[in-house]
Amino acid sequence: MMSFLLVVKAELVRTWIVMRRYWFRTVTGMAISYGMLIMFIIGFVNRPESVDVPANFADAGKATNWALGFIIGMFAFGVVGMFSQGLQTMAQSGQLEQLCMSPHGLVTNFMARTVVGSISNILSSAVLLWLISRTFHDTLHATDENFLPMLILLTLTFANVLGFGFMVGGLVLVFKQTGQIAIMIRLALFALAIAATDKIAEWNVVARIVAHIMPITDAAICLKYVLIQGQKIDGRFCSVFWHPSGAFWFLLGNCLFWTLFGILCFRVMENWSRSKGTLGAY
Amino acid sequence: MDKSDLVVLDRVDKSFVTRHFLQRDEESNERYFYRKRRVHAAKRIAFAVRRGEIFGLLGPNGAGKTTTVKMVSGLVRPDRGVVYVDGLDVERKRLQTLRRVGVVLEGTRTSIWPLTPLENLMYYGNLKNVKGRVLRDRARELLCFIGLKEKMNIQVRRLSRGEKQKLAICIALIADPPVILLDEPTTGLDVQSSRSIKDKIIEMTRGQGKSILVTTHDMNVAQELCDRIGILDKGELVACKPTEELLDLFSDHSYEFHLDRLPDAGAFAGIIGVHEVSPVLFDKEEPVLLVRVDADRAVRSQALYATISRLHELGYALHSVNERQQTLENVFLHLTGGGSARPERPSQGGSRP
Repeated sequence: MMSFLLVVKAELVRTWIVMRRYWFRTVTGMAISYGMLIMFIIGFVNRPESVDVPANFADAGKATNWALGFIIGMFAFGVVGMFSQGLQTMAQSGQLEQLCMSPHGLVTNFMARTVVGSISNILSSAVLLWLISRTFHDTLHATDENFLPMLILLTLTFANVLGFGFMVGGLVLVFKQTGQIAIMIRLALFALAIAATDKIAEWNVVARIVAHIMPITDAAICLKYVLIQGQKIDGRFCSVFWHPSGAFWFLLGNCLFWTLFGILCFRVMENWSRSKGTLGAY
Repeated sequence: MDKSDLVVLDRVDKSFVTRHFLQRDEESNERYFYRKRRVHAAKRIAFAVRRGEIFGLLGPNGAGKTTTVKMVSGLVRPDRGVVYVDGLDVERKRLQTLRRVGVVLEGTRTSIWPLTPLENLMYYGNLKNVKGRVLRDRARELLCFIGLKEKMNIQVRRLSRGEKQKLAICIALIADPPVILLDEPTTGLDVQSSRSIKDKIIEMTRGQGKSILVTTHDMNVAQELCDRIGILDKGELVACKPTEELLDLFSDHSYEFHLDRLPDAGAFAGIIGVHEVSPVLFDKEEPVLLVRVDADRAVRSQALYATISRLHELGYALHSVNERQQTLENVFLHLTGGGSARPERPSQGGSRP
């Protein structure tokens, strides 16, 4: 644990220095990406024929559902990208070799790196959520009573995506070129986060199994549920934890599976990469 | 395993499978999508680096030098054999051994360019489990030692290549490891930077007692720095001896006597054979007497004194005596099958009877 915190501290300092030193690039980068996202979202929901949303936002729930999926998808896209593209970039620059030779171990280093890297991701997601809630007439239930469930769901979602990222990262350690395939995986996660609703129960068995195995589906369903409907409807308690489709339990199971399997896979791949002589090199 | 050995490679094997895409078999004229080939990077390599010693690994491209360094640093797993660092098996106690090794790999950027050298050292110090005041003091101390004190607050991207290489060495030293692995530390550097880095390497071993395993293509670097040298060729360790011994082994012990006039061949007949002096040669263009003595040190000494006495008797003025010294490059070429071990240039140090 101390090792992890020490690396987190080092990564925080490094990230902060780079962001501060290149502040203009940081600010303009954020402004451009947020601007594009917001324009994209607003442009999309203003085309009622495409999503069956009335132009006056009367059924803001559907639009919010779509927008939330977009944000969750972006988050998953970013976290997994830290493992795939991040690993490739570090291998090319030579920094990966130094990380591989850190006595803390590569798993601890990467976990700390992803946690720190995700802070900006989480912050940007929060800003987007706020913007979405303003855009859709405060339809989001970002209230105090929803804070704890949100925190639990976000933690599980992060652990879920982190585990999946470790698996992708392990593959990239051995087969560097899979970084390109990982882009497709990231896009699939992104699409799934948007598409995931309670309606997956109506999908055929195979599609349903695949959807539940993927790390983002149930996380997106649960998060959307809490943010759109809240923990109470008309004063009646209907917590996400007792969601009729069982999405929360799928999320919990998924989280355990991906975290354990992802880290195990990463360790196995790290050893394989050492045998192949490709560890740290591109 | 000797207690003074900090790094030990015990009959280590490593081979890689390479794939060549779209090859054609010359005999059957068939095309293959790819062909696998096994390349041996290390064949039962065995050597040890002692405490406070600079050990050089020489070899042509693809000989297995970098693979050997990577096996010591735990980046590559050997197929067979064991690598020990400070008595610990690298495979079984990898994370513990990483605390005892600092590595500078060839051609890597290592340092983070948007940060300053001091920030880089603080960052990598934390990754190497060094923290707090100890880390701050050590970072400043190292930057002073390596000569980057004035540039500790300048971004790395503004530093010269030599300075970046110095910083890479500091990063390797930040956890104060007893073993330093340097893969081609002076490649691509100018004379001053190369000299400066060589001086620091010597200072680290002589002053701080560190053990250094250095790979290099530069024969001068190896000859100047290394106490012992191992020569790798196609994954095999074809020689492993102290530098002087290696040079001596392949030396033909020829000595040049620079005189004031052309020497008379007949005048030296008396010393040939008596002191195991093999043909006394004359350069017909220059007033130089060339004497070759294929014998041990004691006999060589007597032969040289006899030659000098004879020259004195005959009234020749002796300007200088040089040993036609074997260079490491010749030894290297000889051992790796790249050429003969003929002597090519006299030593710069004057007489050495």
